[in-house]
Amino acid sequence: MTTHEHDAGAHRHEDRGAALILAVAFVVMIGAIGAGLAALVTSSVNNRGTLERVRDRQYAADAAVEDAIVQVRAASTGGADACQSVSGVSRTQSINTWNMRVDWRSACGVIRGGDGLVLVQRDVIFAACVDTNVACTDSSVIIRAQVNFEQAASGAVTKTYVQSWSMNQ
Amino acid sequence: MNRTRPVSGRFSSDDFPTSTTPTGSTMRDRPQSSARDRGDTLLEIVLTVVITAISVSALVSALATAGTAGQAQRNGVSTDTVMRNYAEATKAAAQDCVDGAPLAVSFDATGFKVATTPSPTVCPPPTRTQLLQLSVTGPTGVTQTMSIKIRTP
Repeated sequence: MTTHEHDAGAHRHEDRGAALILAVAFVVMIGAIGAGLAALVTSSVNNRGTLERVRDRQYAADAAVEDAIVQVRAASTGGADACQSVSGVSRTQSINTWNMRVDWRSACGVIRGGDGLVLVQRDVIFAACVDTNVACTDSSVIIRAQVNFEQAASGAVTKTYVQSWSMNQ
Repeated sequence: MNRTRPVSGRFSSDDFPTSTTPTGSTMRDRPQSSARDRGDTLLEIVLTVVITAISVSALVSALATAGTAGQAQRNGVSTDTVMRNYAEATKAAAQDCVDGAPLAVSFDATGFKVATTPSPTVCPPPTRTQLLQLSVTGPTGVTQTMSIKIRTP
């Protein structure tokens, strides 16, 4: 064997296995790209599902607060109890597949009228959360709202005013 | 060397001198074809092409799927936004409504169809809420539904 042939043979010997390495690298690269795309698609689907679930839950809480407002309004008696400490629980079942609970408590509001008289206002604070049979906590509250119940001299509620309405989660 | 040209005009291998390499071997000693020098077979090439085609087609399919998923995600988010806006418009319309009056919702979203059930909707009395089912159909035909409750103040 000549020196030239010997060198060429050595080169060929060193190159053996390179095809396998290239093939493995190619398969790994294709696999990595495919895995990345699969993760992207999965993430998109999950994001959309989460978005709809959160929206449904928020509007379920919204509906529960509306129900609670109507119930408090119906239960309101004369103006004498405007500043009494009253609280209660209202539940709304199966709206947008969610069961909601609303904890409410009265809040005494006092304003001075145009004629200088001090007027007592009946305000109620509502806190809505997913119903787990426990009271709503700061971390579980979805909607917190304060509503003013306008009362006639007879004590009947004539109109309600939403003073604040915050969506917490 | 004294040679004569053959009459037939053809040459034999003996008509030419052999060249000698520095190591002493002659060109005629060199093998005509080595197993190591053989090229890839047709089968190997075909297999390579097939595997490459499968890999590339899988990659292109994955890319197309990702693109479709992205489009669906965008449509879903757009529909969700329209749904929220429609729900707020419906609730706002109820705030200006009185018991027994028809609920007049002013809402328009280009490319989307919105609907309320029951229809036509009558505003409820202040002593109760009214459950409504809203539906929004996007430009691609995907429909989302959601329930809300309205009340009059």
